[in-house]
Amino acid sequence: MSHEREKRQSWDWDSPQCRAQLDEVFFRQHDYIQTGRTEHKEFWTFFERFQRFKTKKEMSAPKSSRQESHEGKSKKKSGSVDLGLPKDYDARYRINISVCSKDIEERLGGSEHRRRRETSGPGRQEITDCRLALLHFLDFNQKQSFNKLSKLRREQKSLPIFQYRDRIVELVRTHPVVVVAGDTGCGKSTQVPQYLMASGIDHIACTQPRRIACISLAKRVSFESLNQHGSKVGYQIRFETSRTTSTKLLFMTEGLLLRQIQQDASLGQYQVLIVDEVHERHLHCDFLLGVLRSLLPLRTDLRLVLMSATINIKLFSSYFNDAPVLQVPGRLFPIQVIYQPIPPEEQASRSEKLDPRPYLRVLQGIDQRYPPEERGDLLLFLSGVAEISTIQEACQTYATHTQRWIVLPLHSTLSLAQQDKVFDIAPPGVRKCIISTNIAETSVTIDGVRFVVDSGKVKEMSFDPKAKMQRLQEFWISRASSEQRKGRAGRTGPGVCYRLYSESDYDAFASYPVPEIHRVALDSLILQMMSMGLGDPRTFSFIDPPPASSIQTAVTYLREQGALDEHGELTSIGRLLAQLPVDVVIGKMLVLGSVFKLVEPVLTVAAALSVQSPFLRSAQHNPDCSTARQPLNSNQGDPFTLMNTFNAWVQVKADRGSGSRKWCRRRGLEEQRLYEMVNLRRQFKELLRSHGLLEDDMGRRTEPQDRARRRERLTERQKLHRLKRDHELQENTKRKVLRLEEGLEGDASSGSDGEGASSSKKRKDGAEQTVDIQEVKFKLRHNVNELQEAASADLSSRQQSLLKLVLCRGLYPQLAMPDEHNANRKDSEQVFHTRNKQGVVIHPTSVFASDPEVLHVPEHESSEFGADKGQSNRHQLLAFVTLLETNKPYVSNCVRIPALQALLLVANSVDTNADCSRVVVDGWLELGLTDGDTALKVISSALTLRGEWERLLQAQLRQGGPGSSAGLGLSGPKVSRRELEKLCEGLVRFLLYTEVSYSLRRLTGLQSQNLYIGPQQDPDLSSASVLSSLFPGMKAEPDPIKGGLRVCSYFTYNCLCDSKDLYSECLRTFWSCPHCDLYMPLTPLERMQHEVTCRPPEEQQPEEEPESVNASSSSSSALTRLYHCDICNKDLTLTSTEILKHKRQHLS
Amino acid sequence: MDFTEGSALGVFTCELCELSSPYSFYGQKPPNTRAIVLLEECYGMKDPFSPEREKFLVLGSKCCLCSKTVCVGTDCSLFYTKRFCLPCVRDHLHQFPEQVQNEVLRKKSVQKMSAS
Ligand SMILES: [Zn+2]
Ligand SMILES: [Zn+2]
Repeated sequence: MSHEREKRQSWDWDSPQCRAQLDEVFFRQHDYIQTGRTEHKEFWTFFERFQRFKTKKEMSAPKSSRQESHEGKSKKKSGSVDLGLPKDYDARYRINISVCSKDIEERLGGSEHRRRRETSGPGRQEITDCRLALLHFLDFNQKQSFNKLSKLRREQKSLPIFQYRDRIVELVRTHPVVVVAGDTGCGKSTQVPQYLMASGIDHIACTQPRRIACISLAKRVSFESLNQHGSKVGYQIRFETSRTTSTKLLFMTEGLLLRQIQQDASLGQYQVLIVDEVHERHLHCDFLLGVLRSLLPLRTDLRLVLMSATINIKLFSSYFNDAPVLQVPGRLFPIQVIYQPIPPEEQASRSEKLDPRPYLRVLQGIDQRYPPEERGDLLLFLSGVAEISTIQEACQTYATHTQRWIVLPLHSTLSLAQQDKVFDIAPPGVRKCIISTNIAETSVTIDGVRFVVDSGKVKEMSFDPKAKMQRLQEFWISRASSEQRKGRAGRTGPGVCYRLYSESDYDAFASYPVPEIHRVALDSLILQMMSMGLGDPRTFSFIDPPPASSIQTAVTYLREQGALDEHGELTSIGRLLAQLPVDVVIGKMLVLGSVFKLVEPVLTVAAALSVQSPFLRSAQHNPDCSTARQPLNSNQGDPFTLMNTFNAWVQVKADRGSGSRKWCRRRGLEEQRLYEMVNLRRQFKELLRSHGLLEDDMGRRTEPQDRARRRERLTERQKLHRLKRDHELQENTKRKVLRLEEGLEGDASSGSDGEGASSSKKRKDGAEQTVDIQEVKFKLRHNVNELQEAASADLSSRQQSLLKLVLCRGLYPQLAMPDEHNANRKDSEQVFHTRNKQGVVIHPTSVFASDPEVLHVPEHESSEFGADKGQSNRHQLLAFVTLLETNKPYVSNCVRIPALQALLLVANSVDTNADCSRVVVDGWLELGLTDGDTALKVISSALTLRGEWERLLQAQLRQGGPGSSAGLGLSGPKVSRRELEKLCEGLVRFLLYTEVSYSLRRLTGLQSQNLYIGPQQDPDLSSASVLSSLFPGMKAEPDPIKGGLRVCSYFTYNCLCDSKDLYSECLRTFWSCPHCDLYMPLTPLERMQHEVTCRPPEEQQPEEEPESVNASSSSSSALTRLYHCDICNKDLTLTSTEILKHKRQHLS
Repeated sequence: MDFTEGSALGVFTCELCELSSPYSFYGQKPPNTRAIVLLEECYGMKDPFSPEREKFLVLGSKCCLCSKTVCVGTDCSLFYTKRFCLPCVRDHLHQFPEQVQNEVLRKKSVQKMSAS
């Protein structure tokens, strides 16, 4: 006894040594809980609490008296079956777990037990105490987890859709198509897939309009089906997939399912397709429905479930042969609607800023009517970002004054951290005032909203086919949207909706929003339809067919892009583009870039142009950010700035890892966009590889054989995987509480969108401590060294100009011409013109907005007066990615290109007069070249280069094209490196060193109407035959519309109304060839012909090109003349070139 | 023994509250737990809420008196050296120690209050 006591006194529960001794008993290497793990730490924390609890209890309730009373009671009432329960209550009896620890094992084994007791170590009491605590700990954990499960099941059961569970499964079993209609909160998106899975269906695809929803739904459903680490539920989106062979339910975007249909028209891999949110009427969704409708008769076993809000349900049902509709009531609390139309004096006119008074009155009203203890936040819907910042400013002033509001903006151009703030919680007595675009109408759901203010306005994108321009315009919303906005107030309790319009306005609203298919450009859709072989898009049975004119516009555009030929059939590049899940222009860049071995830079640019700009708008006004960004800017154009930024970021990632976050912050960059870029870039690379457009050796560089290094890499990856898993587990942890100054900070820095540097700085400390999960994912996904290598190679000026050409051809016909008076205008007033839209301006985010001089023709190089007026060889054009009209028509993501050279190399229609001194491109740009000689030379070399470019491109596409044994690089006639290098060399020389002065102007409407001479009754056949021999493989024919001679698909000679036409024969002048000793009077055409066939000796290929030789010798050229050779003493009929060849023959 | 998903033996359903979930083991020995023994034959699964991968979660077992399958939720059953469903506990309430009696009575009154 005394021995025990002594020990006990020396025993210290807080001592790490003492604990370690117990660890050896309970938490051994193979035990349920192991020393060092999180649970082990949690145990000891629990232990301390448990001990405290025990002492407190012992002190407050003397055990003996209690026991007595209990025994008395139980004795009195006995009589029935004896359960044999212990008389003395012990909490231990409540636990159904026992633990076989080391001491028990030893006792059972009976071995060293006794000897051990002698040595110092935990005594029996300590072991007992610890065991008891452990049992309680295990029991506590069981209870916690079980409560979570039970809560989850309760929540599932309480969803309105739950009672329709069997009905839904039954309907799906018995009908090919079922429509499930239910409003937000009824649980359809999470539950219906689970019901179907539980009913034994193993191959389900569920489409969503938004990528983010795919991920969050997959996570949620996976969690609800208690399958967190399993893979039955997965998602697949553009960048990533969690799909495995055991995946039963797959969430994916509508676009992705369409891609799968392109691969496998019958979608054999799925039993059930769920198309969610069909009421949103996205372009892809409407199209998908059409495709599925025609698929159903071919796959009678396929089941289709359409899920929709309770909007326009009949439309969907009747489109699918009156499919049964299951309507589920939503779970909305009552919402009071208050109409508060804005009085006329407070209504903003078009040019003015929004008047904040009507909005402030609502805030005041809430403060007066509702005590601050009654929680509930405010959600305010405005049409756009500018409106949001106006109202935000005013509300912030009010909030600072009252200390009762935290004002937070919400729109898609905010940084993700800023967007995320709306989910944080306001401190007690304070409400959040979230000012949002319609993003919060369906995409983002914020709980705890009690008040909604609806401006009734929305800004929507539409496409103007005439101006070939996107337009962002403000509209009244539809009644459906209006109801949707209202509903946001009643998700967690009864709410109030303030409508800042009158009830009669509401009644006049359209019932539903205009479906996307009626608003947007249909290029990609039509391209995809063509490649899927769906026939004439005009007769396809859409749920709501787009106007025929939209389809026609798209077809024309695709033809201009080179994706369709003149008969409306897919070209080989078009076929490839249809396979790439990117914009046509981006796809073209990728393909063209890969041909020129410009893969790495083109991948970067294509990825950069496909994601939102990483440059935060608000940082523009921050001088520190601008200075830090300066080295990244390229005055070649925005794509180059983006590329520099990406490359610099990759360097930072390689050198400093997670330091990149700080690096981005300093430059006002949203790092998330760069992560998106790097992911997309990788996906593009895989696409090119799978289409055989990329040699394989680039990516599969053999890893270092060094074992130690490999192991190191493996350990690092394991560590990263663990970090990622830990992060995923933490993700569901509680939201943090906002501080009252939260709204203020963002605003103070820049006065714009509220994502300034100062707020970031303050948030920094907290953020830096947590794991940068993006960094972890980045490292898992990418080989940093490989990226660094690709990013560090500086482009030579040669590569740069080639890259510009690739971008230009990709973007063509999206070209803009600087106004001729720009040099005399202020920087902010620079004006540009596209073919279809005059007076566009450069978006303020573009490098050319701050540095427009690089686009001006240097004054000293352009003569101001006389015939030479405007002549220069420095004219430039802009190729741009987007033309979007908001308050002004803006072009953004521009690159500058040398006008003449680029136009001759990419334009679809190049027309000239007889001496080629006047060139009209695409019917709107006129180039005037005074020097006829050079003009000819330039056009002739452009034609040659283009012909060669096209030939190599086609060869490359044939070689790689879809379905070929791509990637091996051995199949088909390989494009030789030499040919390619020669072409590159030629193009670069043409782009950089073409010395020709010319004028550049736009044609007026009248001029472009009377451009052509039109078909001639008596075409000049002699020149036709000249031309046919000029370019082997091209047939020069009289052009039936323009007149003149159509030399090839894009070049028509001598078709322009021009006084010189009639005298073309008189234009014969003496000319000496620089390469041979030919000297004779020639017409411009004849001269061109000679130039094409007579190449400088060093350029002539050693290998014979039999085709061209045959072509020129067999053609009865008008240029042949009688030649007497003194050496062979013969009279020969030869062209001048042939004469030359003949002479050379004798020399060798 | 593998008790990741996919190896579910069947679906456990509580006969009182209808809570249901697939179970992946039945018995006194959860898989991958060297030192742990359960004091009753339990239905259990991999703990879906635990950050550690190899944790188990007991869903329920059979009442030792009426043999009903019941979940471990406090509204359906309690463990006092053996598993009892709450209806059986109420039938034999006097045989349980005072602490348990109070607990059950308190639950009853709470339920009544929330129901009314
Ligand atoms: Zn139960
Ligand atoms: Zn029972």
